[in-house]
Amino acid sequence: MWLPLLGLILGISLGLLTDIQIPSVYENYLSIAVLAALDTLFGGIRAQLQNVYDDRVFVSGFFFNIALAAGLAFLGVHLGVDLYLAAIFAFGVRLFQNIAVIRRILLTKWSERKGTIY
Amino acid sequence: MRQGVYVRFTIILLIVGFMIAVQYNTVQKPESRDTRDIWGIRQELSTEKQLHSELLSDIRDVNDTITKYENLQSESPAQALNETLDNLRKKAGLTDVTGPGLELVIEPSLEGMALGQQVTAISPDLLVRLLNEINRFNGRYISIDGKRIIHSSPIRDINGQTTVNSLIVNTPPFKMKIGTDTSEDAEKLYNHLKSSTIADDFFIDNLTLTIGNPENSLTVPAFDQPIENNFLKNTSKGD
Repeated sequence: MWLPLLGLILGISLGLLTDIQIPSVYENYLSIAVLAALDTLFGGIRAQLQNVYDDRVFVSGFFFNIALAAGLAFLGVHLGVDLYLAAIFAFGVRLFQNIAVIRRILLTKWSERKGTIY
Repeated sequence: MRQGVYVRFTIILLIVGFMIAVQYNTVQKPESRDTRDIWGIRQELSTEKQLHSELLSDIRDVNDTITKYENLQSESPAQALNETLDNLRKKAGLTDVTGPGLELVIEPSLEGMALGQQVTAISPDLLVRLLNEINRFNGRYISIDGKRIIHSSPIRDINGQTTVNSLIVNTPPFKMKIGTDTSEDAEKLYNHLKSSTIADDFFIDNLTLTIGNPENSLTVPAFDQPIENNFLKNTSKGD
């Protein structure tokens, strides 16, 4: 259970300690990639809780979503259309949905456990 | 099976954390904000403009020299070289310079004499202060009591006596000659010295500084000692 959290802390401290900065031109791409990664992550957690988790779907989804989002943003920059908004919108909506589903599942589990204790 | 899932989540979270941290770094990077007001910026602009015009005039000088060399190349390269050499000698202070300038006379003050105070030599500090004032207003060629000031002239106290170029400066009265490039410069220098507080500093030391009127023809003597050169070397041919 604590292993993923450890991974997150390790990643953040690694990033902060190395003090890497990317050129501000690519800032958009990174932010959208972070969003895509978060979306995949919560999707994975939801799938795990719903017992439909698949390794291949999760790992491929992670990288594919990031690449797609960054590619969309890149295309948008070159076409003069803010296509990255589409990615932000899609990922944002899915993020909320996934979190909502996770919350419901956890609530259900919690109330079930409570029911069994008492 | 579950262990594998955790490992994958850990790796993915590591990547996510890293990306977030990098994003954070990028967004939070301390931007050096320009907090100057319009006058600060104007000031800098004017400094830059001055530098620009100085550079332009330098370029013009160098171009002139090149043209001169090119013109004289077929006739007599030696003459061009000699001219450059003369110029450099003049800049270094090895020649007498005749041109516009003004003369300063440093005397014991009447008050000091009336009170019977002993006339002491001028202090090196005061002399350096005066030179700085003169340099600020384009006094190019300066001699103190007949001793020409060059780039390496020491002004210091040796055994209680003020020296310039290691030669003792007379107890006041003595004269200082200042040569300038143009008579406008001489005029400016005169006005500046008149309005500056340097004369007050002399008065504290019981001396008076008399600033002579700008003259059109004034001869500043040459530096007559060998210039010691410890660090510069001739480059070998071909360099």
